[in-house]
Amino acid sequence: MIRCVALRKAYGALVAVHDLDLEIAPGEVFGFLGPNGAGKTTTIRMMVGLLEPSSGSVLLGGHDLARAPEAAKALLGYVPDQPYLYEKLTAMEFLRFVGGLYAVGHAELEERSHDLLEEFGLRDRADELIETYSHGMKQRLVLAGALVHRPKILVLDEPMVGMDPQGALELRRLLGALAAAGITIFLSTHSLGVAEELCDRIGILDRGRLIALGSLSELRARAAERPARGARDASLEAVFLRLTAHDGEHRA
Amino acid sequence: MSAPASLALLLSPRLLAARHALRRGGLKPVLLTAVTLAFWIGCFVLFTRVLTFFQTVTALGPLLTQRLLIVVLLSFLAILLISNVVTALTTFYLAADVGRLLVAPVTRRRLHQARFVETLVSSSWMVLLFGLPVFLAYGAVHRAGPLYYAAALATLPPFLVIPAALGVLVTTALVLVFPARRAREVLVVATVALAAAAYLALRLLRPERLASAPELAGLAAFLAAFEAPASPYLPSTWAAEVLIPLLGERAGEPLFYLGLLASTAAVLYLASAAVVERVFLRAWSRAHEGRVRSGGERRLTRALRLAAAPLPRVPGLLLAKDATIFLRDASQWSQLLLLLALVVVYVYNFSVLPIDDASPLAHTLRDVVTFANLGLAAFVTASVAVRFVYPAVSLEGHSWWILRSAPVPLATLWWSKFWIAFLPLAVLGEILLVVTGRFLGASAGLTLVFMATLLLVIAAIVSLGLAFGAAYPRLDTQNAAQIATGFGGVVYMVTCLGLIAVVTALEAWPVSRLFWHRFAHTPLATAEAVLTAGAFASVALLTLTAWALARRSALRNLPRLVP
Repeated sequence: MIRCVALRKAYGALVAVHDLDLEIAPGEVFGFLGPNGAGKTTTIRMMVGLLEPSSGSVLLGGHDLARAPEAAKALLGYVPDQPYLYEKLTAMEFLRFVGGLYAVGHAELEERSHDLLEEFGLRDRADELIETYSHGMKQRLVLAGALVHRPKILVLDEPMVGMDPQGALELRRLLGALAAAGITIFLSTHSLGVAEELCDRIGILDRGRLIALGSLSELRARAAERPARGARDASLEAVFLRLTAHDGEHRA
Repeated sequence: MSAPASLALLLSPRLLAARHALRRGGLKPVLLTAVTLAFWIGCFVLFTRVLTFFQTVTALGPLLTQRLLIVVLLSFLAILLISNVVTALTTFYLAADVGRLLVAPVTRRRLHQARFVETLVSSSWMVLLFGLPVFLAYGAVHRAGPLYYAAALATLPPFLVIPAALGVLVTTALVLVFPARRAREVLVVATVALAAAAYLALRLLRPERLASAPELAGLAAFLAAFEAPASPYLPSTWAAEVLIPLLGERAGEPLFYLGLLASTAAVLYLASAAVVERVFLRAWSRAHEGRVRSGGERRLTRALRLAAAPLPRVPGLLLAKDATIFLRDASQWSQLLLLLALVVVYVYNFSVLPIDDASPLAHTLRDVVTFANLGLAAFVTASVAVRFVYPAVSLEGHSWWILRSAPVPLATLWWSKFWIAFLPLAVLGEILLVVTGRFLGASAGLTLVFMATLLLVIAAIVSLGLAFGAAYPRLDTQNAAQIATGFGGVVYMVTCLGLIAVVTALEAWPVSRLFWHRFAHTPLATAEAVLTAGAFASVALLTLTAWALARRSALRNLPRLVP
């Protein structure tokens, strides 16, 4: 459903993403992990059409993002790392606008918007300007906007940041339900517990390179091959720290 | 930590940011310094000339000198008051770093001192820029001694502190009554309305009458008759009373008035400190309260949605969104007041032109103004475009991801932005051209030619606005006025002026021939007709090329716009 072929992004001499090859099957929940500055957000921005790759390509549902951007993007729901919205619109107006961009029919859009606002606990404040919302509320509204057109692919960049525990729990449940409904989920997160709980496969990006890819058990086996200081923990956190530890650095 | 050290620490982020901006500014600081110097010299020369002339008016000279100084100081005081109120609202209550300082072990007194200095500097530099050449010119013309310059230097700090302290007090009172966002809206609208009213009032006073008197006598008569409010309670009067005796114009008590200025400044500063220290937390908390939409706003949104319904999907959506945001943002919609004042003055200017008589001079003037009207109408639309079209890309700001990740072609977004800007600008420009054309008695044929030319020019101006907006994006601010006054805005305006100049130059010859043949009642010769058609075709080619190149540039730069 998502395919990155030799995807590369360079800023002058600095290469943020090195020839990334990645394939994610329909209905799969894919966890994208990596230390800060690893190139996760750059990769995601290329995947959703916000950033032009230096080379390589992205295919969404078989549509090349460069050649048929509209067809590819129509399948996509995107939740960025920062919930920047139109502050002078209300939540309801925002959903109407986003749904309109995806050509959702009027009656369906009204019904869907109300349902999503209800589901994300924003119904009571649907007529207030977004500028009055908290970070967590904006994050939930962005999620609602990403789902308003019933996407086939959902790309989430650090969706848990700024959410309260209740919100984070509901999001985990929601992602589980969406995955069960066959939606492909690409999830970048620092919350290793979430990745461990939800993801079928995990990719670890470090300094722009995909250094590990597989199911949690495959990653554990791979990590076990590397020398580790301290206890041999089997959690994703321990696996992550071991795989992203650089020579001469003690990160665990 | 000592008081000066902690104050310096609190101010250091601003100072460091300014230093970094200077270092990374490239040619900008050099250009800015050159422009400032030129401006200073221009101001100095102008005031020197005016004051030298006043000295030749034997009986009225001293009175005129004093009146002018009082008028200048009073204008400074009014500008400082407004500017300080607006700035204090941001520095004290809306700046993002205030919250960080509130949780740090910083006393309220120190916080007040740091923010007061910031407010003072941000609001007063412009007046300093204007004021210094004026004071220097007064000193030079009157051959004042060092005491005058020392007094001018001593007068400035209290003269600047008084409006700053009043600004902090007024802002704090406003924030206690309204939430800061609302207070800012009230202030923005009041400021813009005042500016528009002042502009209208100044124009309707018909200052051109002054030009009818020889040399500067018109200005002298105007000043002599002008009842400047030299109230004994105004700090501007006190500042004038410090300076005038030291210029040797008349006797006075400069030391007393300097003391009055200094003590008032001290008292007001302490009062602002005391008030801020006492109520700051309450006011800051109020500043971050939100507001719920009113019923009127809901109706407006519904009306906009209905109005956009007949349009194609994406332009309709963008129109409804942009118009809603525009009408909810006081800093944006209030600019319409200025625009209205501009239009009224523009039309009024044509209504008072001395072209009613049948003299050859009036006839020539009418022809020249009729032609100039094309350039002027284009200039007005370019000015409006700088304020409303150029910021359109930047105003998408950090929310740009919403449009870019949606299945909407970039070209469709561009066309939507283009039509949303082009249609109102075209209506404005054409109405101006037609209404003023009627005042001038322009023929229907010529008016039609000018209308077609203006349409082409406006299309190019809008396309250039989107291109420059995409090339010089300012995603860090939602203040459209701030975006428009940036480097890209200036380059855009200069480009528009260049285009208008070339278009008017291309049409000048054929239009002058058309005027001549109309005057002489002779038909256009074939060669002339061919050249005339060629000139109009060149205008069409030039504007359409500018439009297409600008469109290509915008479509190339828009994908690079990454928040």
